[in-house]
Amino acid sequence: MAGLSISSVTKRFGDTEVLKGVTLDVADAEFVSLVGPSGCGKSTLLRIIAGLEDPTSGDIAIDGKGVTGMRAADRNLSMVFQSYALYPHLTVAENIAVPLRMRSLTTTQRLPLIGPFLPGAKDQRAEIATAVQKAAEMLEIGPLLDRKPGQLSGGQRQRVALGRALVRDPAAFLLDEPLSNLDAKLRVQTRAEIAQLHRRLNATFIYVTHDQVEAMTMSDRIAVMMGGEILQCDAPSVIYEDPSDIRVAEFIGSPKINILPIELSNAELTLFGQVLGRITEAAQAGIYQLGLRPEALKLTQTEPVMTGTVAHMENLGSEVYAQIALADQTSRVTLRAAPAERHKLQLGAEVGLGLDLQDGLIFDAVGKRQRRIEVAVTHVREVA
Amino acid sequence: MTRDIWKHLILVIGAIIVLAPFYMMLSYSFKSPGEIDRGVGGFFGAQEMMVDPRCVKLRDPNRDEIAAAAPQYPGKSDSEIRAVIMAQAEIDCSMRPVVFNYSKAFIEAPLLRYLLNGVIVTVSIFFVQVLVALPAAYALAKLKFWGREAVFGLVLFCLLIPVHAIALPLYIMLAKVGLTNTYAALVVPWTISVFGIFLMRQFFMTVPDDLIDAARMDGMTEFAIVWRVMLPTAIPALLAFAIFSIVAHWNDYFWPRIVVTGSRELFTPPLGLREFKGDADGSFFGPMMATATIIVTPLIVAFLVAQRRFIEGITLSGMK
Repeated sequence: MAGLSISSVTKRFGDTEVLKGVTLDVADAEFVSLVGPSGCGKSTLLRIIAGLEDPTSGDIAIDGKGVTGMRAADRNLSMVFQSYALYPHLTVAENIAVPLRMRSLTTTQRLPLIGPFLPGAKDQRAEIATAVQKAAEMLEIGPLLDRKPGQLSGGQRQRVALGRALVRDPAAFLLDEPLSNLDAKLRVQTRAEIAQLHRRLNATFIYVTHDQVEAMTMSDRIAVMMGGEILQCDAPSVIYEDPSDIRVAEFIGSPKINILPIELSNAELTLFGQVLGRITEAAQAGIYQLGLRPEALKLTQTEPVMTGTVAHMENLGSEVYAQIALADQTSRVTLRAAPAERHKLQLGAEVGLGLDLQDGLIFDAVGKRQRRIEVAVTHVREVA
Repeated sequence: MTRDIWKHLILVIGAIIVLAPFYMMLSYSFKSPGEIDRGVGGFFGAQEMMVDPRCVKLRDPNRDEIAAAAPQYPGKSDSEIRAVIMAQAEIDCSMRPVVFNYSKAFIEAPLLRYLLNGVIVTVSIFFVQVLVALPAAYALAKLKFWGREAVFGLVLFCLLIPVHAIALPLYIMLAKVGLTNTYAALVVPWTISVFGIFLMRQFFMTVPDDLIDAARMDGMTEFAIVWRVMLPTAIPALLAFAIFSIVAHWNDYFWPRIVVTGSRELFTPPLGLREFKGDADGSFFGPMMATATIIVTPLIVAFLVAQRRFIEGITLSGMK
């Protein structure tokens, strides 16, 4: 087990710059997710860490030792692929044994027919068999060891792929969207199992996904990637509650965060012509963007900040999401409400919305978080 | 309904056209020379006892043999003794046409030797072709290197070169090196099969990159990937190639005829057919067709055995 450090890695494919200088340090035994929309470069970054792709510039170090330019086989990393990539002609047991056979047996010992009779081969083979058995038991695939991958279901194949990764003791595990080929129910189950596996093995995991729920639920830290850069790398709660970029705020969180234009002038924040509050420190006047999570909006009848009509409602049982078409604007906001308030959210109903500016996230015009803008007085309502 | 009938009719005619030569070959290999000449006897011929004139001729006794046999036949003249011996010979040399044809094929020509040569040559050719084509196809399909497209272009270009066009230069080269009349002459010119490289490359293009990356992560070298991952997944394609390669070289008459000029020891099965190409005394169609039957049988059997595996194949179903 070992930590990993990536320093200013760039990657170009022809004229396209896929990675624009990525720097990331992963501590020993840490679970880091690389999350972002497709095409953001997260898989390329993983492949560069694995050694399957060479960076255009920048360095990778595993456990403090530089590995840039080293073959994938020599980096002592395990990888689980999205398509599982099991060897179709080998049984489950043979699939899991491959990484051990390639590493602990010599070329001659691997030969068919005569290999098993060479000195030392027998002990090695017995050791491999034990290791395979252990991995199979950990993943509960013992009864499947004699089957071929073609005879397995998606979930079983996924376990075999995990088995092949953890049968040896690698410096780190790299997982490339390992759950995306599973159905929704199995995905939830396997998510928990991978998180447990991480705790049990106490190993370094780097997990690539486009699914924010996977990233949020499993990781110690999430690195949100977009356009070939890491926008922010923090613990899941920080990423959600305190994003430093509007793109992070928009990507993480479902339903998506509401973004409303807000104006700052004379130390007053104005939304749709209503003053919401004053700020403590001087900041440049101008147009800012206010991010409001669906749970930051409340239904209210007294002095609503915004009014609108219910355009769409989703009832999930434990909570209700409603899309409100704002009265004076063409934009919509999403609101999370308790089931008790469902009756107020009939389609087409007029509703008033209130908010607490402390829950809002303020970004500048280009989307950078403005943490300096702190609101001193809230609930100051003047009709402008 | 009527469309189905037409479809079947066309297919039946096609099948007849393809099968007719085999029917003739098999039928002739059963019949006596007389039946073949007259075109009678149906498929099997009447299988009446016939006398092998050549066998009888060989047993025609000379003066010394008649003298040696004289004590057994007291009081008979030399011509009478000869008549008795000849009558015995005719009995000994009479046999069923089918026995005559097939025994001729094996006795007159050292057919087993030719079959062995055929096996040695086709198997060595195929083995070396695979040895060359698989790594080449892997590199062309899955490795990125400068000039890959140009190399693949050359492969495609080589597909267009007819064998016969380069036969003479090839022969001259082999002759200068002193390799004519050796197994090497039969094998070496065919060891690099651009068709094989092309076919395997096309197949390897369909193998997911993830599988190769997984093998690299598991610690395999590129050569290990070729033999341990690509080869087993490519079995169906390899069988298709094997059929092309083995059929082509087993049946090849042209090239062995050019480079094997002297010793019959190196004859391949098709060259064996020449043994029965009668010159002055007419052709021996019966034994010739028997030889032809023996030559094609291994191929047909091999195909039937491989067929199931060919169709089943190892699919890449484990991948998705």
